[in-house]
Amino acid sequence: MNSQDFIRQSDGLGSRAGNRKSIWRTIHTDPPLLVGIILLCCFGLLVLYSASGKDQPLVQRQAITMFVGLVVMFIVAQFNVHFFRQWAPSMYAAGIGLLLLVLLIGVESNGAKSWLDLPGLPSFQPSELMKFVVPMLMAWYLASRPLPPRFKHLFWSAIMILVPAGLIIIQNDTGTAIMVIMSGIFVVLLAGIRWRVVIAGFISLLLVSPAWYIFLAQDHQKNRILTFFNPYRDPTGAGYNIIQSQIAIGSGGIYGKGWGEGAQSHLDFIPESNTDFILAVLAEEFGLLGVLFLICIYLFVLVRGCFIAIAANDTFSRLLAGSITLTFFFYVFVNMAMVSGLLPVIGLPLPLISRGGTSVVTLFIGFGLLMSIKTHGRSKLS
Amino acid sequence: MTGKWQLKDHEAERELFSRRLAVAAIFVVLLFAALIMKLVNLQVAQYDYFSARSDGNRLHSQYVPPARGLIFDGRGQLLADNQPIFNLTIVQEQVENLDETLAYLSTLIGLTEDDIEQFNNRMRRNRVPFSSVPLRYVLNDAEKSKIAVNSHKLPGIAIEPQFVRQYPLSELTAHSVGYVSEINRDELESLSDTERENYGGTNHIGKTGIERTYEDLLHGTVGYEIVEKNNRGQVMRYLDRTDPVAGKNITLYLDGELQIAAEKALGDFRGAVVAIDPATGGVLAMVSKPGFDPNLFVTGISNKNYNVLVTDNVNTPLFDRTTNPYPPGSTIKPFLGLGGLHYGLVDYEFAIEDPGYFRLPGVSYRWGDYTLRTAIGGGHGHTDLQKAIFQSCDTFFYDLGSRMGIDSMHDFMSLFGFGQNFTVDINYARTGVLPSREWKRETRGEPWYPGDTVNSSIGQGYMWATPLQLATAVSIVANKGKVVQPRMLKAVEGVPYQPVIEDPIADVVVNDPDYWRYIEEAMTMVVHRPYSDEFRGYGTAFEAIAMADREMPYKMAGKSGSAQVVGISQEILQSKDIMVSDLNKDHGLFISFAPADNPHIAPKIAIAVFVENGEHGSSVAGPIAKSVIDTYLLNILQIDFAALEAGGGSLVSVLDE
Repeated sequence: MNSQDFIRQSDGLGSRAGNRKSIWRTIHTDPPLLVGIILLCCFGLLVLYSASGKDQPLVQRQAITMFVGLVVMFIVAQFNVHFFRQWAPSMYAAGIGLLLLVLLIGVESNGAKSWLDLPGLPSFQPSELMKFVVPMLMAWYLASRPLPPRFKHLFWSAIMILVPAGLIIIQNDTGTAIMVIMSGIFVVLLAGIRWRVVIAGFISLLLVSPAWYIFLAQDHQKNRILTFFNPYRDPTGAGYNIIQSQIAIGSGGIYGKGWGEGAQSHLDFIPESNTDFILAVLAEEFGLLGVLFLICIYLFVLVRGCFIAIAANDTFSRLLAGSITLTFFFYVFVNMAMVSGLLPVIGLPLPLISRGGTSVVTLFIGFGLLMSIKTHGRSKLS
Repeated sequence: MTGKWQLKDHEAERELFSRRLAVAAIFVVLLFAALIMKLVNLQVAQYDYFSARSDGNRLHSQYVPPARGLIFDGRGQLLADNQPIFNLTIVQEQVENLDETLAYLSTLIGLTEDDIEQFNNRMRRNRVPFSSVPLRYVLNDAEKSKIAVNSHKLPGIAIEPQFVRQYPLSELTAHSVGYVSEINRDELESLSDTERENYGGTNHIGKTGIERTYEDLLHGTVGYEIVEKNNRGQVMRYLDRTDPVAGKNITLYLDGELQIAAEKALGDFRGAVVAIDPATGGVLAMVSKPGFDPNLFVTGISNKNYNVLVTDNVNTPLFDRTTNPYPPGSTIKPFLGLGGLHYGLVDYEFAIEDPGYFRLPGVSYRWGDYTLRTAIGGGHGHTDLQKAIFQSCDTFFYDLGSRMGIDSMHDFMSLFGFGQNFTVDINYARTGVLPSREWKRETRGEPWYPGDTVNSSIGQGYMWATPLQLATAVSIVANKGKVVQPRMLKAVEGVPYQPVIEDPIADVVVNDPDYWRYIEEAMTMVVHRPYSDEFRGYGTAFEAIAMADREMPYKMAGKSGSAQVVGISQEILQSKDIMVSDLNKDHGLFISFAPADNPHIAPKIAIAVFVENGEHGSSVAGPIAKSVIDTYLLNILQIDFAALEAGGGSLVSVLDE
């Protein structure tokens, strides 16, 4: 509610005072969003400190990464979003090029050959960039066409999504591929694709999935799905992570065991407690109330993202802002649902809470785009 | 035109977008609601369950082994002690590559193949995950420091202190006190569930002797510790502890000094000495020679050392000679003579004219007199029961036994424990054979022949008895028929032990109590009746005992015996480095009690000595018995017989007044 009032107020101020811009518009920053992000970062560092076994250097590195992310966000926000619109096809082409390059000279890490180590640049994952390049291209493509999109446009949209997604799957990074696909699909959904198409697509997906499971799914994927339905079929192997994670969450109760008191995490029963399963640490130490608090901050960020999308002045900005916001939600939900046993295990971190490098910076690029959309909109109208 | 179209489109698109975002928002809310429901289910509804699971993850109960009770001899000398040692142990779950680690350890401290084999045996037993398994017992300081210096290369390897049994008298108590050794799978499986629980932290269990008989007293009760362990099984914190209850310290009747004396007295012979205090039934000495070092078994005897022990067919150190039977020979004569008096077959006046052999009516075979085999020939001449005992006249007993018959002989001899185990707590002792018609029919499928009775009359033939049984029987004679069952355990934690004997053995009651005096007199003559003009009028052991020590301040009652070697195994007969002729020599036996024939003091010690291939009972076994009795009466009890003699007189005079 406050944020809405704030927007109205600032708008009102702007019109009354003529061309006098607020300081926030000048530096292209959206204060509510910034507040939400910083709250998440602080809570994240707090949980990480405990989850890492009070490893100060590790937490410091994460703090530095977050600071770098904020700086990147600030820089991105300085660009008018239409700059990105103009450059979307080129960036997409460059992104595809980098993905191909990864296939040739990529470096493997944690089972995924997705890193690029180019001279003069810090090593990074081109697939991460596609998380916002793909929705950018989709928004560019659909915004310039009459909406709701026709079937022909949907076909080309599908190609635009599936080419990078396919390349990322070849890198063996299913999690990122899913995120890229979802970020594209969100654009299509928001662009007004007809419900019957959505429903038809959903049903066909349901029909195809058994075939995928039987013919295409790899053993570890089948395993994850079987484990999801019954973690106790292999309690010390495939089911171990989810069982221990549920034990951690459940034993946290309503109020939690207290910061730094999580037995499951401190005695190393939770695997990946710094990254994908950090929610288990949070839930064990801060209880249900802690998780609800986290969900509230996420909701605050999401609500703010939605308002930025609705308030945007043109279709491109709306689609991009909406996609970024929903992708962020998807991120949050999939991780939380996975850790609590509501979804099969997919290797996705919990945004701004889990330890991470490139993925954290990518998130901030998304926030930067949202801020750009929020703060550059007016200039386009005039 | 174009712009208007675009503008109109723009509005519609905004509308469309807003509707879509609204739908998305509904989904967001629904999905978050589902997530929160899941979390409420986990953290509220199932909180108790997961809380318990979490504790189950981290909290582990581990056993704290109790200290084993100590074993003392009758005068407080330690027979079994607990000594700290340092063991090399492995937690398999923490070792990355077991084979590599073992290979590295081999180069570091020289593990033998034997060590590794025994370790593998231990690993195969039921084992709690993350528990440590001993790889090598008893590390010395150099080995400890090598392990400590290289500990960073040896995850999962630790040096753990442990208290293990130590037997200060070593081979002297190998058979009587026995030893503890690692529990094997069969032993674990034979325990009840609660007992197995009690052995949770214990590696050792009593295998033989007292250690086995009184395992329940000695073991104690296991304690518990609640510890917090991490995912890798490392103990992070100690949370709770129930202390173990140490095993009971027990005191035996055994006397370490007497045990040493007995072993020493046996000299180079193989054999056994069992000494009993007739008043209490307490076993004062129980030596089987040669023994073995029981300490070797405590930490797992190596195959090499074990092979040495089991392949020694001549010395058979693992064989307990005190509780295994041999033909008792002439040592049964006093009991049989007492039986003759009791049944009225002989009296003090009865005598035979001994021609040196015996013939059953209607049988041409002559049973010769073994005791005269090497003598000049002829018989003992005029022989009454006392002479038959002190001269060990076979012919007399052939006649007496034949007239008594096997049934009466069996009944009377069984009163003294032959063919039975009279002990309170030496349940592993064998019972030997006291032959009877039934016994022969059952075991041989043959009827009893009169000739069998003749052989049995001098303790040969089917008759088998253990040195322990002989000592028991002679202690009954020392007590004049009162049966005090032999026992090892004297006190528990300093409190005298009163065993509950459900089925007490009846005292031996003879028709005239004077028979006891008469037999004691006869046995005293065995040792003390000197050479004289009388034809064969001396005791068989006089020369070796009373004549050898003319200063002997007390009298002992005794009876010698020798027993034919019954069978030598083919292995021994075929081996080249053993003098088979030595092994064919008779076994020598001597039973005795002392002081005998003493108005002031009751007998203090009853003893049976068995000397394997000793050839002569009186000259070989007799002095051994005498030496042990000397030690007990003169050194341990320090009885001043001269003063007793004098004081005894004054005592009588005091009473007279």
